[in-house]
Amino acid sequence: MERQPLAAWVRERDDPKIANTKPEALDDLTILDLSYNSYAGCYCSSLLSELGAQVIRIEPPEGDFLRTCTPYGLLHKKEGLVYLSEGRNKFHVTLNLKEEKGREMLKSLAAQADVLLETYHPGVMDDWGLGYEQLKEINPRLIFASISPWGQFGPRSKSKMPDYENVAQARGSIQYATGEMLPDGKSYDEYPWAVPTKAGPWISWASAGTFMAAGILAALFYRDRTGEGQALDVATAEAYANFDDWGVLIYQEHGYIVERFGNLDQGGWIYCFAPTRDGAVFIGGLRLEQWQAFVDMVGKWDEWGAADFKAIGDFMVKEAQLKWAPLVFAETRKYTNDELIEMSIKYGKEGRLAPITPVIAPVCNPMEAMTDANWLDRGLFTPVDDPVYGEVVVVQSQYKLTETPPRVKWVCRPVGYDNDFIYLKHLSLGPTRLKKLKETGVV
Amino acid sequence: MAEVTWRNYKDNKNSRPAPLKGIKVLEIATLLLGPGGPGFLAKLGAEVIKCEMPPMGDTVRNLVPFGFFFREHGCGLTHPNLSKYWIGLDLHKPEGQQVFRDLAAKADIIEENMRPGVLEKWNVGYRQIKEINPGIIYISKNGYGQWGQYADENRPSNDGGSQAASGFAWMSSFPGKPPLKSRLYTADAYGGLMGEIPVLAALHYRERTGKGQYIELSQTESLMRTMSWVWPYQQITGKVAQPSGNRDQCVCPADTFRCIDDSFVAIAAPAPEEFNGICKAMGKPELAEDPRFKDHLVRLQEENAIAILKIISDWVKTLTLDKVIQTAEKYGFAASEIRSAKDITEDEHFRERGYITEIDDPLDGPMLNYDFPVMMSKTPPRVNWSVRPVGFDNEYIMANALGKTREEIKRLYECGALGKWADVKGRRPASTWDGKSGLILSREPGYTDGGRGE
Repeated sequence: MERQPLAAWVRERDDPKIANTKPEALDDLTILDLSYNSYAGCYCSSLLSELGAQVIRIEPPEGDFLRTCTPYGLLHKKEGLVYLSEGRNKFHVTLNLKEEKGREMLKSLAAQADVLLETYHPGVMDDWGLGYEQLKEINPRLIFASISPWGQFGPRSKSKMPDYENVAQARGSIQYATGEMLPDGKSYDEYPWAVPTKAGPWISWASAGTFMAAGILAALFYRDRTGEGQALDVATAEAYANFDDWGVLIYQEHGYIVERFGNLDQGGWIYCFAPTRDGAVFIGGLRLEQWQAFVDMVGKWDEWGAADFKAIGDFMVKEAQLKWAPLVFAETRKYTNDELIEMSIKYGKEGRLAPITPVIAPVCNPMEAMTDANWLDRGLFTPVDDPVYGEVVVVQSQYKLTETPPRVKWVCRPVGYDNDFIYLKHLSLGPTRLKKLKETGVV
Repeated sequence: MAEVTWRNYKDNKNSRPAPLKGIKVLEIATLLLGPGGPGFLAKLGAEVIKCEMPPMGDTVRNLVPFGFFFREHGCGLTHPNLSKYWIGLDLHKPEGQQVFRDLAAKADIIEENMRPGVLEKWNVGYRQIKEINPGIIYISKNGYGQWGQYADENRPSNDGGSQAASGFAWMSSFPGKPPLKSRLYTADAYGGLMGEIPVLAALHYRERTGKGQYIELSQTESLMRTMSWVWPYQQITGKVAQPSGNRDQCVCPADTFRCIDDSFVAIAAPAPEEFNGICKAMGKPELAEDPRFKDHLVRLQEENAIAILKIISDWVKTLTLDKVIQTAEKYGFAASEIRSAKDITEDEHFRERGYITEIDDPLDGPMLNYDFPVMMSKTPPRVNWSVRPVGFDNEYIMANALGKTREEIKRLYECGALGKWADVKGRRPASTWDGKSGLILSREPGYTDGGRGE
């Protein structure tokens, strides 16, 4: 066995600082990303571009509406912040698919591409003569990837409703069962926050995009072996819903519908967020001894009779959790986050049940996360030096590979920025011909 | 045309090859983050061998939400573990390590989520396996990665810790209210999926070059990746990104509203034609020309967003849920009820697509679960069977993958390298099991103790 410690051995090979000295796993691929007003689509092509694929973003001449989706309407050098992050590594061209000439040009590009990604409603690409059945005649190796609200087939695929993050979250079963419980006898007017609550910024669309990226790579493997392309279909309503681990099982076996349970956890005790004097902590202690250690740590060993606790299962049932949670929270509110973390470390050394101790972790705000030395060291927030947008912090290097690490080369491009290069490279359209196409509104 | 591509998709799933046909995966993982990735690969047709420590197996077998079992095993076990092969292998034993190494020599992918260093101690770490199989793709998943301050401190990690540390939970709550933990183990589920992107990309790279590699995945970093605008926002403004409940700060209008019958509806209508549509639907077409609302970027400004959301909220309050959704369809904006697990399970659309899929399992019986949410026209993903007791497929894997004789298998049981389930609910087969259903290699009566000779 080699002598170097594993951590150092791994870091020597996958530190994002040396990513640019390594090859790229997908640098033989060309991807046409036609997604429109879809973070799912842009996120999907981002993941592939980070691994080296040449992604050509094809926007209508006025640009993608997604560029205007930005917190509070804030722009950085005329660019929305979502797009600033997800334009990464991509070439941006404009093409008017409503014009016959534009569609012809797309066919030429598709003939040279490995993947086409699109997010129009089912049928739109077909009507343009650009559907999978039509393009596969030109390029049988093409992987044709569609993301839509309900998918390409099935009764609801006919719906013309647009797709958005918050609506896609509502369609999974997760928002329904996430959020504070409405106290008995109270109304939503008194507790407007005790309602089904969506999670995070755009986790649902990110999930759809990530599933599609996995599907594209699985289809690529099949094509590597057989030479055959195919069509792929992701419904955003299905993607995030797929993370439900047991809601569908409990319902079919017991007829029980998983409901909101606040910051507690139906699957375990003690496993919750607890309020503190200056914020909140996560407490994790799924073993009986860890729960006892927590009780001891806050000085309630005798009063709560911890010595007589028998099985963790007794505390996991709903009624027990609802009884114990307020008692626990009353204790955690007496301390700051740091004090509780310190107490758990100390307990692990000197406590009655040491080394057993509950896991206590602070609930960080994103600024704390972004300035945390651990993540900075791991290259998550290394600013990207972009020729158009300057030094921009976008999150990156979320996984690390020893041979073909991901990287961010630039963050974004204005609308049509790469028309000259891409149309020259793929369609041999020099300045004279391109000028004509611009004048006639094709690009 | 799309109709041609997808005609009879569900019925033809098994008339086509699976995309990862021929790919062999070894899993040494517990709980949800680790098994999730191989679970996806199994649905994509890879042969996944899940190694559990006998006789108790994966800790996730303890996950019995509110005490609900599913066919006598924990509900938490099923979702990440469909269509796998199950062996009970003790890697503390040198003979167990040798079995693993023999399997690893023929594998394409290894996935693990033990504490850093544990697998090297067992002689099955990446550095040891690459000596016998240089093309191996080997991924380690955990909370904080393999190096850096938190890894050095050997911090325990789990889903709740990652939701907390990433800032994800902070962004998932109402302003001024405590940060909210998702009902979902989001960091586990998403991290489990995210890890398969580099794994599958590495597989393509291996097809091109023959080279394998090592991959590390942190579930906390995965979750941070999804929060894209949050980071440049904080850099550019110098402010902490704030939560906003169900309102989307980047899309306006987009929020969850309460209807007349106290049910909830999510609505989004930001694009010009959608916003015009909702204004017309409210009987206030003039709002679409209001300087506060006309342009999306202006409408997104805090006071304008609050103003338009209040107008919509007052309108929705007077309507039933059904009416809101019909109106949205008619006027071209997006709306959805907040759907429960019941709604999902019974959704005809999902059934017709084969997304909610019917599994006919020899042990668990007929059951419903999710298929992989990417439909693939030539290589449909699929779910073939449910989960198994600890060590259920030992004989089959030993004989089929390694060519072991019954005598050799017996010796592996005797030294404790191989093992089967403990006599504990959720570890052992269900009480209804007939002693042979689901066994692949041997269905002889009396063989159900796995040759332990009991």
